[in-house]
Amino acid sequence: MARWKFPVGIFKAMRIAWINLWRKNIVIQYPHEHYELPARARWSVEMTLDENGHHKCTGCKICENTCADYIINIDLSVDEERNKHINHWLYQRGACMMCGLCVEACPFDAIHMGKNIELAYFDKEDLTDDLLTDIDAVKPPRKERPAPTMKAEGGTDGDDS
Amino acid sequence: MNPWATGIIHTLLLIVIMLLNGSMIIYMLRKVLGHLHLRLGPTELGPGGILQLVPDIVKLLVKEDRHPGTTDRWLYIIAPVIVFVPALMAYIAIPFSDKLIGFDVNLGVLMLFGFLTVIPLGIFAAGWGSHNKYALIGAMRAVGGAISYEIPLLLSALIPIMLAGSFSLKAITMAQTTSIWYWLPAFPAMVIFFICSIMETNQSPFDMSEAESELVSGFNTEYSAMRFGFMYLAEFSNNFIMAAIMVCLFFGGWSLPFIDPNSMGVFAPIVFIIKTYLVIFAFMFVRGTFSRYRVDQMLAFGWKKLMPIALVYSVVVAFFVKLISMKTGGGL
Repeated sequence: MARWKFPVGIFKAMRIAWINLWRKNIVIQYPHEHYELPARARWSVEMTLDENGHHKCTGCKICENTCADYIINIDLSVDEERNKHINHWLYQRGACMMCGLCVEACPFDAIHMGKNIELAYFDKEDLTDDLLTDIDAVKPPRKERPAPTMKAEGGTDGDDS
Repeated sequence: MNPWATGIIHTLLLIVIMLLNGSMIIYMLRKVLGHLHLRLGPTELGPGGILQLVPDIVKLLVKEDRHPGTTDRWLYIIAPVIVFVPALMAYIAIPFSDKLIGFDVNLGVLMLFGFLTVIPLGIFAAGWGSHNKYALIGAMRAVGGAISYEIPLLLSALIPIMLAGSFSLKAITMAQTTSIWYWLPAFPAMVIFFICSIMETNQSPFDMSEAESELVSGFNTEYSAMRFGFMYLAEFSNNFIMAAIMVCLFFGGWSLPFIDPNSMGVFAPIVFIIKTYLVIFAFMFVRGTFSRYRVDQMLAFGWKKLMPIALVYSVVVAFFVKLISMKTGGGL
Protein backbone atom coordinates (compact mmCIF):
# COMPACT_ATOMS: atom_id res chain seq x y z
CA MET A 1 0.00 0.00 0.00
CA ALA A 2 1.38 3.35 -0.99
CA ARG A 3 2.18 5.65 1.88
CA TRP A 4 -0.24 8.52 2.15
CA LYS A 5 1.47 11.87 1.98
CA PHE A 6 0.01 15.18 2.97
CA PRO A 7 -1.15 16.86 -0.27
CA VAL A 8 1.23 19.82 -0.21
CA GLY A 9 0.76 20.40 -3.92
CA ILE A 10 -2.85 21.48 -3.45
CA PHE A 11 -1.82 24.33 -1.18
CA LYS A 12 1.10 25.28 -3.39
CA ALA A 13 -1.24 25.51 -6.36
CA MET A 14 -3.72 27.60 -4.41
CA ARG A 15 -0.94 29.93 -3.28
CA ILE A 16 0.18 30.44 -6.88
CA ALA A 17 -3.40 31.03 -8.00
CA TRP A 18 -3.88 33.59 -5.23
CA ILE A 19 -0.73 35.43 -6.29
CA ASN A 20 -1.89 35.35 -9.91
CA LEU A 21 -5.23 36.81 -8.92
CA TRP A 22 -3.55 40.06 -7.92
CA ARG A 23 -0.96 40.22 -10.66
CA LYS A 24 -1.37 42.67 -13.48
CA ASN A 25 -2.99 41.09 -16.50
CA ILE A 26 -0.76 40.36 -19.45
CA VAL A 27 -3.26 40.79 -22.25
CA ILE A 28 -3.54 43.82 -24.50
CA GLN A 29 -7.05 45.01 -25.29
CA TYR A 30 -6.46 44.77 -29.00
CA PRO A 31 -8.72 47.21 -30.80
CA HIS A 32 -8.09 49.83 -28.12
CA GLU A 33 -4.43 49.14 -27.43
CA HIS A 34 -1.63 48.02 -29.68
CA TYR A 35 1.70 46.39 -29.26
CA GLU A 36 4.63 48.55 -30.16
CA LEU A 37 6.06 46.80 -33.21
CA PRO A 38 9.78 46.08 -33.30
CA ALA A 39 11.84 48.48 -35.39
CA ARG A 40 12.53 45.90 -38.09
CA ALA A 41 9.01 44.47 -38.27
CA ARG A 42 8.05 43.74 -41.88
CA TRP A 43 4.46 43.83 -42.98
CA SER A 44 2.83 44.78 -46.23
CA VAL A 45 4.75 46.65 -48.93
CA GLU A 46 4.23 50.39 -49.06
CA MET A 47 5.46 53.17 -51.29
CA THR A 48 8.24 55.33 -49.90
CA LEU A 49 7.46 58.97 -50.44
CA ASP A 50 10.00 61.74 -50.64
CA GLU A 51 9.79 65.01 -48.73
CA ASN A 52 7.38 66.45 -51.31
CA GLY A 53 5.05 63.52 -50.91
CA HIS A 54 5.95 62.15 -54.30
CA HIS A 55 6.66 58.52 -55.00
CA LYS A 56 10.08 57.37 -56.19
CA CYS A 57 9.13 54.51 -58.50
CA THR A 58 10.85 54.52 -61.85
CA GLY A 59 8.89 51.61 -63.24
CA CYS A 60 11.98 49.49 -63.74
CA LYS A 61 10.08 46.32 -62.77
CA ILE A 62 13.01 44.86 -60.83
CA CYS A 63 10.71 44.25 -57.90
CA GLU A 64 8.22 42.50 -60.14
CA ASN A 65 10.94 40.23 -61.47
CA THR A 66 12.35 39.56 -58.02
CA CYS A 67 9.09 38.71 -56.32
CA ALA A 68 9.07 35.02 -55.43
CA ASP A 69 5.28 34.84 -55.35
CA TYR A 70 4.63 36.82 -58.54
CA ILE A 71 2.27 39.14 -56.73
CA ILE A 72 3.57 42.50 -57.96
CA ASN A 73 2.27 43.56 -61.35
CA ILE A 74 3.30 46.93 -62.74
CA ASP A 75 1.20 48.02 -65.70
CA LEU A 76 3.30 50.49 -67.68
CA SER A 77 2.84 52.43 -70.85
CA VAL A 78 5.80 54.04 -72.57
CA ASP A 79 5.54 56.99 -74.95
CA GLU A 80 7.77 57.82 -77.91
CA GLU A 81 10.27 59.70 -75.78
CA ARG A 82 10.60 56.65 -73.57
CA ASN A 83 8.83 58.32 -70.66
CA LYS A 84 7.16 55.68 -68.55
CA HIS A 85 3.65 56.08 -67.25
CA ILE A 86 2.40 53.79 -64.45
CA ASN A 87 -1.22 52.81 -65.08
CA HIS A 88 -1.43 50.44 -62.13
CA TRP A 89 0.98 49.23 -59.48
CA LEU A 90 -0.88 46.09 -58.35
CA TYR A 91 0.12 44.39 -55.14
CA GLN A 92 -1.71 41.23 -54.01
CA ARG A 93 -1.47 41.72 -50.29
CA GLY A 94 -3.28 38.49 -49.47
CA ALA A 95 -0.62 36.37 -51.19
CA CYS A 96 2.42 38.30 -49.98
CA MET A 97 4.72 36.43 -47.63
CA MET A 98 6.47 39.60 -46.46
CA CYS A 99 9.89 38.27 -47.46
CA GLY A 100 11.16 41.72 -48.38
CA LEU A 101 13.06 40.62 -51.48
CA CYS A 102 11.40 43.37 -53.57
CA VAL A 103 12.52 46.01 -51.10
CA GLU A 104 16.08 44.70 -51.16
CA ALA A 105 16.05 44.59 -54.93
CA CYS A 106 14.75 48.11 -55.52
CA PRO A 107 17.69 50.29 -56.60
CA PHE A 108 15.82 53.52 -55.94
CA ASP A 109 14.44 52.82 -52.42
CA ALA A 110 10.97 53.34 -53.81
CA ILE A 111 9.25 50.77 -51.61
CA HIS A 112 9.58 49.64 -48.03
CA MET A 113 7.95 47.09 -45.75
CA GLY A 114 5.23 48.91 -43.83
CA LYS A 115 4.01 48.49 -40.26
CA ASN A 116 0.35 47.96 -41.06
CA ILE A 117 -0.54 44.74 -39.26
CA GLU A 118 -4.29 44.92 -39.80
CA LEU A 119 -4.47 42.94 -43.02
CA ALA A 120 -7.92 41.40 -42.63
CA TYR A 121 -10.65 42.56 -45.01
CA PHE A 122 -14.30 41.86 -45.44
CA ASP A 123 -14.05 41.75 -49.22
CA LYS A 124 -11.80 39.55 -51.30
CA GLU A 125 -11.17 42.37 -53.78
CA ASP A 126 -9.60 44.48 -51.01
CA LEU A 127 -6.75 42.00 -50.78
CA THR A 128 -5.34 43.33 -54.04
CA ASP A 129 -4.16 46.86 -53.60
CA ASP A 130 -3.36 49.43 -56.26
CA LEU A 131 -0.45 51.31 -54.76
CA LEU A 132 0.04 53.75 -57.67
CA THR A 133 -2.63 54.57 -60.22
CA ASP A 134 -2.24 56.59 -63.41
CA ILE A 135 0.89 58.51 -62.54
CA ASP A 136 4.12 59.28 -64.31
CA ALA A 137 7.12 57.24 -63.31
CA VAL A 138 10.14 59.05 -62.01
CA LYS A 139 13.03 59.48 -64.40
CA PRO A 140 15.90 57.62 -62.88
CA PRO A 141 18.72 59.94 -61.93
CA ARG A 142 21.49 59.22 -64.37
CA LYS A 143 25.07 59.52 -63.34
CA GLU A 144 27.03 61.93 -65.47
CA ARG A 145 29.39 59.63 -67.22
CA PRO A 146 32.83 61.00 -67.96
CA ALA A 147 33.32 61.70 -71.60
CA PRO A 148 34.83 58.71 -73.37
CA THR A 149 38.53 59.16 -73.62
CA MET A 150 40.42 58.02 -76.65
CA LYS A 151 42.83 55.24 -76.19
CA ALA A 152 46.40 56.39 -76.18
CA GLU A 153 47.54 56.62 -79.76
CA GLY A 154 50.66 54.84 -80.63
CA GLY A 155 50.62 53.13 -77.30
CA THR A 156 51.43 49.56 -77.04
CA ASP A 157 49.58 46.75 -75.37
CA GLY A 158 52.62 46.03 -73.32
CA ASP A 159 53.73 42.84 -74.92
CA ASP A 160 56.75 44.45 -76.51
CA SER A 161 58.71 45.03 -73.38
CA MET B 1 -56.11 37.54 -2.54
CA ASN B 2 -56.64 34.55 -4.73
CA PRO B 3 -54.17 31.86 -3.56
CA TRP B 4 -53.46 30.91 -7.18
CA ALA B 5 -52.50 34.49 -7.98
CA THR B 6 -50.19 34.74 -4.96
CA GLY B 7 -48.67 31.42 -5.89
CA ILE B 8 -47.97 32.55 -9.45
CA ILE B 9 -46.57 35.90 -8.31
CA HIS B 10 -44.27 34.20 -5.82
CA THR B 11 -43.08 31.72 -8.44
CA LEU B 12 -42.36 34.51 -10.91
CA LEU B 13 -40.49 36.42 -8.21
CA LEU B 14 -38.42 33.32 -7.51
CA ILE B 15 -37.65 32.94 -11.22
CA VAL B 16 -36.55 36.59 -11.40
CA ILE B 17 -34.31 36.16 -8.36
CA MET B 18 -32.88 32.99 -9.84
CA LEU B 19 -32.24 34.64 -13.22
CA LEU B 20 -30.53 37.63 -11.62
CA ASN B 21 -28.50 35.37 -9.39
CA GLY B 22 -27.53 33.08 -12.24
CA SER B 23 -26.47 35.92 -14.49
CA MET B 24 -24.51 37.57 -11.67
CA ILE B 25 -22.68 34.33 -10.97
CA ILE B 26 -21.92 33.86 -14.68
CA TYR B 27 -20.47 37.36 -14.84
CA MET B 28 -18.51 36.79 -11.64
CA LEU B 29 -17.21 33.46 -12.93
CA ARG B 30 -15.88 35.06 -16.09
CA LYS B 31 -14.23 37.86 -14.19
CA VAL B 32 -12.70 35.69 -11.46
CA LEU B 33 -11.45 33.03 -13.87
CA GLY B 34 -10.14 35.78 -16.13
CA HIS B 35 -8.11 37.42 -13.41
CA LEU B 36 -6.84 34.04 -12.21
CA HIS B 37 -5.52 33.45 -15.72
CA LEU B 38 -4.06 36.98 -15.99
CA ARG B 39 -6.81 37.98 -18.39
CA LEU B 40 -9.54 40.54 -17.89
CA GLY B 41 -12.81 38.75 -18.66
CA PRO B 42 -15.59 40.73 -20.35
CA THR B 43 -14.79 44.42 -20.71
CA GLU B 44 -16.63 45.80 -23.72
CA LEU B 45 -20.27 46.36 -22.82
CA GLY B 46 -21.08 48.59 -19.89
CA PRO B 47 -18.81 49.35 -16.93
CA GLY B 48 -16.51 46.37 -16.49
CA GLY B 49 -18.41 44.43 -19.14
CA ILE B 50 -21.41 43.88 -16.86
CA LEU B 51 -23.92 44.35 -19.68
CA GLN B 52 -22.39 41.42 -21.54
CA LEU B 53 -25.03 39.30 -19.82
CA VAL B 54 -27.88 40.93 -21.71
CA PRO B 55 -26.77 39.92 -25.23
CA ASP B 56 -25.81 36.50 -23.87
CA ILE B 57 -29.31 35.87 -22.55
CA VAL B 58 -30.89 37.34 -25.69
CA LYS B 59 -28.72 35.05 -27.77
CA LEU B 60 -29.87 32.01 -25.83
CA LEU B 61 -33.50 33.09 -26.22
CA VAL B 62 -33.49 33.76 -29.94
CA LYS B 63 -31.30 30.89 -31.10
CA GLU B 64 -32.80 28.11 -33.13
CA ASP B 65 -34.06 25.29 -30.95
CA ARG B 66 -32.44 22.46 -32.84
CA HIS B 67 -33.82 19.04 -32.20
CA PRO B 68 -31.73 16.09 -33.43
CA GLY B 69 -33.82 13.48 -35.17
CA THR B 70 -32.69 10.37 -33.32
CA THR B 71 -33.37 11.51 -29.77
CA ASP B 72 -35.73 9.94 -27.31
CA ARG B 73 -38.11 12.84 -27.80
CA TRP B 74 -39.98 12.76 -24.53
CA LEU B 75 -36.88 12.45 -22.32
CA TYR B 76 -35.05 15.02 -24.41
CA ILE B 77 -37.77 17.60 -23.85
CA ILE B 78 -38.45 16.86 -20.19
CA ALA B 79 -34.78 16.69 -19.05
CA PRO B 80 -34.09 20.45 -18.85
CA VAL B 81 -37.26 20.85 -16.82
CA ILE B 82 -36.19 18.13 -14.39
CA VAL B 83 -32.87 19.91 -13.99
CA PHE B 84 -34.36 23.39 -13.72
CA VAL B 85 -37.34 22.92 -11.40
CA PRO B 86 -35.51 21.50 -8.33
CA ALA B 87 -32.92 24.24 -8.67
CA LEU B 88 -35.75 26.75 -8.57
CA MET B 89 -37.65 25.04 -5.76
CA ALA B 90 -34.61 24.87 -3.51
CA TYR B 91 -34.75 28.65 -3.15
CA ILE B 92 -37.87 28.51 -0.99
CA ALA B 93 -36.11 26.93 1.98
CA ILE B 94 -33.11 29.26 2.08
CA PRO B 95 -33.27 31.64 5.07
CA PHE B 96 -32.06 35.02 3.81
CA SER B 97 -32.95 36.45 7.22
CA ASP B 98 -35.15 35.43 10.15
CA LYS B 99 -38.21 36.81 8.33
CA LEU B 100 -37.20 36.61 4.67
CA ILE B 101 -37.59 32.90 4.14
CA GLY B 102 -39.95 31.31 1.67
CA PHE B 103 -41.05 28.40 3.76
CA ASP B 104 -39.44 27.52 7.08
CA VAL B 105 -39.66 23.74 7.07
CA ASN B 106 -38.50 21.99 10.20
CA LEU B 107 -36.67 19.52 7.97
CA GLY B 108 -35.25 22.26 5.73
CA VAL B 109 -31.81 20.74 5.23
CA LEU B 110 -33.28 17.41 4.24
CA MET B 111 -35.73 19.08 1.87
CA LEU B 112 -32.97 21.05 0.14
CA PHE B 113 -30.82 17.97 -0.30
CA GLY B 114 -33.87 16.13 -1.52
CA PHE B 115 -34.38 18.71 -4.25
CA LEU B 116 -30.71 18.66 -5.19
CA THR B 117 -30.74 14.86 -5.46
CA VAL B 118 -33.30 15.06 -8.27
CA ILE B 119 -30.89 16.99 -10.49
CA PRO B 120 -28.65 14.02 -11.47
CA LEU B 121 -31.84 12.29 -12.61
CA GLY B 122 -32.48 15.14 -15.04
CA ILE B 123 -28.89 15.06 -16.15
CA PHE B 124 -29.13 11.35 -16.83
CA ALA B 125 -32.39 11.85 -18.70
CA ALA B 126 -30.67 14.47 -20.85
CA GLY B 127 -27.71 12.21 -21.57
CA TRP B 128 -29.85 9.18 -22.32
CA GLY B 129 -32.41 11.04 -24.37
CA SER B 130 -29.79 12.78 -26.52
CA HIS B 131 -28.78 9.54 -28.25
CA ASN B 132 -25.18 10.64 -28.30
CA LYS B 133 -22.27 8.70 -26.88
CA TYR B 134 -20.59 11.74 -25.36
CA ALA B 135 -23.80 12.85 -23.71
CA LEU B 136 -24.39 9.36 -22.34
CA ILE B 137 -20.87 9.02 -20.96
CA GLY B 138 -21.15 12.46 -19.38
CA ALA B 139 -24.50 11.61 -17.83
CA MET B 140 -23.20 8.33 -16.42
CA ARG B 141 -20.22 10.11 -14.93
CA ALA B 142 -22.53 12.68 -13.36
CA VAL B 143 -24.66 9.96 -11.76
CA GLY B 144 -21.59 8.02 -10.59
CA GLY B 145 -20.18 11.17 -9.05
CA ALA B 146 -23.45 12.09 -7.43
CA ILE B 147 -23.79 8.66 -5.84
CA SER B 148 -20.28 8.67 -4.46
CA TYR B 149 -20.28 12.24 -3.22
CA GLU B 150 -23.75 12.68 -1.81
CA ILE B 151 -23.04 10.33 1.09
CA PRO B 152 -20.07 12.29 2.48
CA LEU B 153 -22.00 15.48 1.70
CA LEU B 154 -24.93 14.43 3.84
CA LEU B 155 -22.66 12.99 6.55
CA SER B 156 -20.76 16.25 6.80
CA ALA B 157 -24.01 18.23 6.84
CA LEU B 158 -25.11 16.01 9.71
CA ILE B 159 -22.50 17.47 12.04
CA PRO B 160 -23.91 21.02 12.30
CA ILE B 161 -27.33 19.40 12.57
CA MET B 162 -26.14 17.38 15.55
CA LEU B 163 -24.48 20.41 17.11
CA ALA B 164 -27.61 22.52 16.72
CA GLY B 165 -30.04 19.73 17.42
CA SER B 166 -32.35 20.67 14.55
CA PHE B 167 -32.89 20.09 10.85
CA SER B 168 -34.27 23.56 10.25
CA LEU B 169 -31.82 25.91 8.54
CA LYS B 170 -33.25 28.81 10.54
CA ALA B 171 -32.78 26.98 13.83
CA ILE B 172 -29.20 26.04 12.89
CA THR B 173 -28.47 29.68 12.09
CA MET B 174 -30.01 30.85 15.36
CA ALA B 175 -28.02 28.24 17.30
CA GLN B 176 -24.81 29.67 15.83
CA THR B 177 -25.67 33.17 17.07
CA THR B 178 -25.57 31.96 20.68
CA SER B 179 -22.44 29.80 20.33
CA ILE B 180 -19.56 30.04 17.84
CA TRP B 181 -19.93 29.49 14.10
CA TYR B 182 -19.74 25.80 13.38
CA TRP B 183 -16.86 25.88 10.94
CA LEU B 184 -14.46 25.96 13.91
CA PRO B 185 -15.64 22.88 15.82
CA ALA B 186 -16.61 21.13 12.56
CA PHE B 187 -13.65 22.12 10.43
CA PRO B 188 -13.11 18.69 8.74
CA ALA B 189 -16.83 18.53 8.04
CA MET B 190 -16.65 21.96 6.42
CA VAL B 191 -13.77 20.88 4.18
CA ILE B 192 -15.61 17.70 3.17
CA PHE B 193 -18.79 19.66 2.55
CA PHE B 194 -16.89 22.13 0.39
CA ILE B 195 -15.30 19.39 -1.74
CA CYS B 196 -18.60 17.55 -2.11
CA SER B 197 -20.39 20.78 -3.04
CA ILE B 198 -17.97 21.24 -5.91
CA MET B 199 -18.81 17.72 -7.07
CA GLU B 200 -22.53 18.28 -6.55
CA THR B 201 -22.49 21.39 -8.74
CA ASN B 202 -20.38 19.68 -11.44
CA GLN B 203 -17.55 22.15 -11.26
CA SER B 204 -13.89 21.73 -12.02
CA PRO B 205 -11.85 19.80 -10.78
CA PHE B 206 -14.78 17.35 -10.67
CA ASP B 207 -16.53 18.42 -13.87
CA MET B 208 -16.30 15.00 -15.52
CA SER B 209 -19.92 15.14 -16.61
CA GLU B 210 -19.16 17.94 -19.04
CA ALA B 211 -15.43 17.55 -19.52
CA GLU B 212 -15.02 19.73 -22.58
CA SER B 213 -11.69 18.33 -23.68
CA GLU B 214 -12.98 14.75 -23.62
CA LEU B 215 -16.74 14.80 -24.12
CA VAL B 216 -17.47 17.83 -26.33
CA SER B 217 -19.86 19.29 -23.76
CA GLY B 218 -20.96 16.24 -21.82
CA PHE B 219 -24.61 15.66 -21.09
CA ASN B 220 -25.76 18.89 -22.75
CA THR B 221 -23.94 18.29 -26.04
CA GLU B 222 -27.13 18.00 -28.08
CA TYR B 223 -28.92 20.89 -26.42
CA SER B 224 -29.14 24.36 -27.84
CA ALA B 225 -30.99 27.62 -27.34
CA MET B 226 -33.12 27.97 -24.22
CA ARG B 227 -33.10 24.27 -23.40
CA PHE B 228 -29.36 24.61 -22.93
CA GLY B 229 -30.02 27.91 -21.15
CA PHE B 230 -32.16 26.12 -18.56
CA MET B 231 -29.38 23.64 -17.83
CA TYR B 232 -26.77 26.35 -17.70
CA LEU B 233 -28.87 28.47 -15.37
CA ALA B 234 -29.70 25.51 -13.14
CA GLU B 235 -26.01 24.77 -12.79
CA PHE B 236 -25.26 28.27 -11.50
CA SER B 237 -28.37 28.28 -9.38
CA ASN B 238 -27.16 25.07 -7.74
CA ASN B 239 -23.90 26.81 -7.15
CA PHE B 240 -25.71 29.52 -5.22
CA ILE B 241 -27.83 27.02 -3.29
CA MET B 242 -24.85 24.94 -2.19
CA ALA B 243 -23.02 28.09 -1.12
CA ALA B 244 -26.11 29.26 0.77
CA ILE B 245 -26.45 25.92 2.56
CA MET B 246 -22.79 26.08 3.46
CA VAL B 247 -23.21 29.59 4.87
CA CYS B 248 -26.21 28.45 6.91
CA LEU B 249 -24.54 25.34 8.25
CA PHE B 250 -21.02 26.56 8.92
CA PHE B 251 -20.80 30.35 8.74
CA GLY B 252 -23.70 31.54 10.84
CA GLY B 253 -26.22 32.39 8.12
CA TRP B 254 -27.29 36.01 8.17
CA SER B 255 -25.70 36.72 11.58
CA LEU B 256 -22.48 38.52 12.33
CA PRO B 257 -20.30 37.97 15.42
CA PHE B 258 -20.80 40.42 18.33
CA ILE B 259 -24.00 41.81 16.77
CA ASP B 260 -27.43 41.03 18.14
CA PRO B 261 -29.12 38.87 15.47
CA ASN B 262 -32.50 40.45 16.16
CA SER B 263 -31.23 43.97 15.45
CA MET B 264 -29.87 43.15 11.99
CA GLY B 265 -33.09 44.18 10.22
CA VAL B 266 -32.64 44.86 6.51
CA PHE B 267 -28.93 44.17 6.67
CA ALA B 268 -29.50 40.50 7.37
CA PRO B 269 -30.21 39.46 3.74
CA ILE B 270 -27.31 41.62 2.54
CA VAL B 271 -24.93 39.96 4.98
CA PHE B 272 -26.24 36.56 3.93
CA ILE B 273 -25.78 37.26 0.23
CA ILE B 274 -22.29 38.69 0.73
CA LYS B 275 -21.28 35.59 2.68
CA THR B 276 -22.80 33.36 0.02
CA TYR B 277 -20.92 35.12 -2.74
CA LEU B 278 -17.68 34.78 -0.76
CA VAL B 279 -18.24 31.02 -0.68
CA ILE B 280 -19.03 31.09 -4.42
CA PHE B 281 -15.76 32.95 -4.90
CA ALA B 282 -14.01 30.12 -3.09
CA PHE B 283 -15.68 27.63 -5.47
CA MET B 284 -14.48 29.64 -8.44
CA PHE B 285 -11.00 29.96 -6.98
CA VAL B 286 -10.76 26.17 -6.74
CA ARG B 287 -12.24 25.90 -10.22
CA GLY B 288 -9.60 28.19 -11.65
CA THR B 289 -6.72 26.54 -9.80
CA PHE B 290 -6.97 22.80 -10.24
CA SER B 291 -7.00 20.63 -13.29
CA ARG B 292 -9.57 17.92 -13.82
CA TYR B 293 -9.26 14.59 -12.02
CA ARG B 294 -9.65 11.28 -13.77
CA VAL B 295 -12.95 9.53 -13.19
CA ASP B 296 -11.42 6.66 -11.23
CA GLN B 297 -9.40 9.11 -9.13
CA MET B 298 -12.55 11.05 -8.37
CA LEU B 299 -14.52 7.97 -7.35
CA ALA B 300 -11.60 6.59 -5.32
CA PHE B 301 -11.25 9.93 -3.55
CA GLY B 302 -14.94 9.99 -2.74
CA TRP B 303 -15.30 6.41 -1.55
CA LYS B 304 -11.90 5.76 0.02
CA LYS B 305 -11.00 9.10 1.56
CA LEU B 306 -13.98 11.36 2.07
CA MET B 307 -16.54 8.83 3.15
CA PRO B 308 -14.48 7.11 5.91
CA ILE B 309 -13.34 10.48 7.23
CA ALA B 310 -16.89 11.81 7.26
CA LEU B 311 -18.20 8.64 8.91
CA VAL B 312 -15.56 8.57 11.64
CA TYR B 313 -15.85 12.28 12.27
CA SER B 314 -19.63 12.18 12.55
CA VAL B 315 -19.41 9.29 15.03
CA VAL B 316 -16.83 11.20 17.10
CA VAL B 317 -18.95 14.36 17.08
CA ALA B 318 -22.06 12.37 17.97
CA PHE B 319 -20.20 10.84 20.91
CA PHE B 320 -19.06 14.21 22.24
CA VAL B 321 -22.44 15.82 21.70
CA LYS B 322 -24.06 13.02 23.68
CA LEU B 323 -21.40 13.29 26.39
CA ILE B 324 -21.84 17.03 26.79
CA SER B 325 -25.61 16.86 26.72
CA MET B 326 -25.51 14.15 29.40
CA LYS B 327 -23.31 16.36 31.59
CA THR B 328 -25.22 19.59 31.10
CA GLY B 329 -28.61 18.05 30.61
CA GLY B 330 -29.26 19.92 27.38
CA GLY B 331 -27.91 20.76 23.96
CA LEU B 332 -24.68 22.55 23.23
